[in-house]
Amino acid sequence: MAGRHSFDVEVLTPEGEVFSGEVRQVSTRTAVGEIGILANHAPLLAALRPAELRLHIDDSETRRYAQAHGWLQVFGNHARLLVEEAIAPEELDVAALKEQLADAEQRLAESEEGSGARGRAEKDRDRAEAFLAIAAE
Amino acid sequence: MATQKDVKNRIASIKNINKITRAMEMVAAARLRRAEQRIEQLRPYAQGMRKLTRRAAEQAGGIPRVPVLVERQEVRRVGVVLITGDRGLAGAFNTNIIRDGMRLKNELREQGAEAAFSAVGRKGVSALSFRKQDLRTSYVGFTDRPGFANAREIGEELTARYVDEELDRVELVYNSYVSPLTQHVWRQTLLPLQRAEVLGEGVEDEERDREETEIERAHSRALWMYEPDAEELLAQLIPEYVNITVYRALLESAASELGARMTAMHSAAENAETMMDDLTLEMNRVRQAEITQEILEVVAGAEALG
Repeated sequence: MAGRHSFDVEVLTPEGEVFSGEVRQVSTRTAVGEIGILANHAPLLAALRPAELRLHIDDSETRRYAQAHGWLQVFGNHARLLVEEAIAPEELDVAALKEQLADAEQRLAESEEGSGARGRAEKDRDRAEAFLAIAAE
Repeated sequence: MATQKDVKNRIASIKNINKITRAMEMVAAARLRRAEQRIEQLRPYAQGMRKLTRRAAEQAGGIPRVPVLVERQEVRRVGVVLITGDRGLAGAFNTNIIRDGMRLKNELREQGAEAAFSAVGRKGVSALSFRKQDLRTSYVGFTDRPGFANAREIGEELTARYVDEELDRVELVYNSYVSPLTQHVWRQTLLPLQRAEVLGEGVEDEERDREETEIERAHSRALWMYEPDAEELLAQLIPEYVNITVYRALLESAASELGARMTAMHSAAENAETMMDDLTLEMNRVRQAEITQEILEVVAGAEALG
């Protein structure tokens, strides 16, 4: 059972479970801004933006992931993150990400304001930018 | 008539074929297990998404009319996505998909709509270009082990083309996985997204009933925070179902391909064995005929001398 200052967290992607266990704090980014979840947080549903996901397990251990778009649900001292990708920072492929960023920016320049193609290009750009920033750390 | 040497050579080459096809059968069987596991691993994510959607929909008072859910009055151009494999040697796996794709094209033409093809897998790409079809996009190189990133690329490209009214409907054609021995060619409407798909109606009713527990009731009593508000959240959440649907189709197709290859290679190996038996008999007959011939020649020679 979770202690007074820790709570259960699940990180799920379509390709399977990435993390499941007790942590003290979850930090990532929502549509509104940076967010940190501690134990006994109020029920929350949030859309997540690509960012570095940090799971503080205890004082000495923190797990880091490059996290793509997704969703966060907090309820009853249990947090569930549904994300498209959660990759260990050392597994990021910088060359491929740069290519994806260039491709997304080109599509962005060619697409019309408010179109589906524009929305898609923006999403790809945000992901590639965030992942490159994590890889550069 | 074949000589002993001819028959011996044929036996040797068929023995080789037997070995190769047996090995391919084993490889397909081992990889099929992994492919089945990947289908299983998608389930918790998909279920989590449904729960999230139901919670947000309760708050928003229903599902908003986001573009991917809106059905077009007039259907002129239909995206047809054929999911095949990168390799052959899997029985009718690829040809069934191509055949059904062409049938769908004819059906659409009768309804006054035109088909815009997309192909997943090298086999589909080459079959469609050979038939000089209108092939708009192709995705190759991952069909034996599709990742979610592949599904996202396909799903989001189709979604953008649907939202921008380049396509009025999108159909997926793929081999749905039933068991290693059975795969069915399956057509599924990807866009407009079906409401039942989003709410998980029908498919997982049993599971939904079990969920209606204490926790679920506490869920709806609790005071939730939404970031952004529930309606906006749903607008972002719903298009994700397109990617999940594509991903599931890719995974099922990958498992079906391995199942079909396993079955095809199994019967190829069996056939090789039968042929080896027949050819061994044939070789015995040829050898016996040669011996008989030699004896006859000796006897005839002795008689001529006597």
